[in-house]
Amino acid sequence: MAGKVLHAQLHLLDRQLIDQASGELLGKVDDVELDLAADPPVVSALIAGRERIPAVQVMEVDTAVKIVRGDLDLTRGDDWVERHIIDKIPGAGHAPE
Amino acid sequence: MKKVFAVTLGILTAIGGFVDIGDLVTNALVGARFGMRLSWVVIVGVIGICLYADMSGRVVAVSGRPVFDLIRERLGRRTGLVTLVASFLVTLLTLIAEIGGVALAFELASGVNYLLWAPLAALAVWLVIWRVKFSKLETVFGLMGLLLIIFAVALWKLGPDWGQLVHQAANPHPIGHETWATYAYYAIALFGAAMTPYEVFFFSSGGVEEKWTKRDLSTERSNVFIGFPLGGLLSLAIAGCAAVLYLPAGIHVETLSQVTLPVAVAFGKLGLAVVLIGVFAATFGAALETSLSCGYTIAQYFGWQWGKFVRPRQASRFHLVMIICLLLAILTLMTMVDPVLVTEYSVVFAAMALPLTYLPILIIANDPDYMRDQVNGRVRNFLGLIYLGLLLVASIAAIPLMIITKAGR
Repeated sequence: MAGKVLHAQLHLLDRQLIDQASGELLGKVDDVELDLAADPPVVSALIAGRERIPAVQVMEVDTAVKIVRGDLDLTRGDDWVERHIIDKIPGAGHAPE
Repeated sequence: MKKVFAVTLGILTAIGGFVDIGDLVTNALVGARFGMRLSWVVIVGVIGICLYADMSGRVVAVSGRPVFDLIRERLGRRTGLVTLVASFLVTLLTLIAEIGGVALAFELASGVNYLLWAPLAALAVWLVIWRVKFSKLETVFGLMGLLLIIFAVALWKLGPDWGQLVHQAANPHPIGHETWATYAYYAIALFGAAMTPYEVFFFSSGGVEEKWTKRDLSTERSNVFIGFPLGGLLSLAIAGCAAVLYLPAGIHVETLSQVTLPVAVAFGKLGLAVVLIGVFAATFGAALETSLSCGYTIAQYFGWQWGKFVRPRQASRFHLVMIICLLLAILTLMTMVDPVLVTEYSVVFAAMALPLTYLPILIIANDPDYMRDQVNGRVRNFLGLIYLGLLLVASIAAIPLMIITKAGR
């Protein structure tokens, strides 16, 4: 996304994060980190919860933000609920359609 | 041919799906107290829900993002959170009312107290959400809900003075000892029942579940613009039945059995059986929609994985939210609170939460980033703004009117 002009508030903040490979929903963009040393300043990372997503992992900014997940742990809460509650209910893994 | 079938099915589903416990109770209640003198509100409400459901349907088909996703995005985290809390609580209250409605339908059919049925109803709702395909659940309960058309047939069979019903509809003002305050209060209740927020949350999230694209726009449109108005006619028939049977006798509608009684009067036991199945389907279907909407709103605000298009374990927090909501519904009903009363409150609170729900839809529908060539035209924006004004007035007036009229007593 080199050189694309984005309005941080309008195009990034509070947008849905999606795993580019699997389509999984990974949370929201809670904050944006700017590199003010660059001219003009550029977005260096997106913040989601406690995780920092470096700009290189951001692949596409459209009606949602698609990222390469890498080794970011963005689904901690979901995994916890899955392990401790949902997986204990029979049928938790059955195919949807 | 297949497409024609899909459209017809959608329309039929929309008719059956439009009427829920809120519409059943509020329309019967209003019919008994005011006759058809509040009919105009149903019409205004149906136009409003058509306008905004269509807008949210177009947003989904073009951008692939459901409504609540966008509410946070446009209103920001804080205002978004206020909207989340308001619409979630209203949807939860509606869910409690719907589960109560299912339980009451079973009580009427079996004679066994609804308190026993409530946990079973909630469990059944959860099982269906857990196991049944999205498209199937919508179709089955929508089609069964069509049985409610018996209200229209019953009205005709009761042989009312049609001229008088039309006369009532043409004279929109309170009569007898009713005041303008109670009249306005019930106008807001009817408006809230017709435009309940969960309808757009469910409609737009359902669009994502069914993977709508721009090619599905014509299906979406026919469902909305034919299905909802016919559902509105059904609402008027329910009010009409109550107007014929209760208004002259000065009887107030306070129970679900009074809502269904006109059909029993017209068609006897068989009619009662049909209307009870219809009530069951409508409330059960709405219970599914409201529990899903509870999950949709919270998951979409926080960006969690949601939806029935993935395995339950892949959307674990979404499913957990729904389980907790259903448990809360059981607990609330177990306090022996009257489900009909819960319903009456839920539609008024719904009216209060309306502007926050519909404003972001109007904003997004004008954003070319999302909508490309499908942005709102002038007519849609004009109507959208008028309705936003109406919603604002209704939401501001709701609480004072509730206090002045002691909730319509």
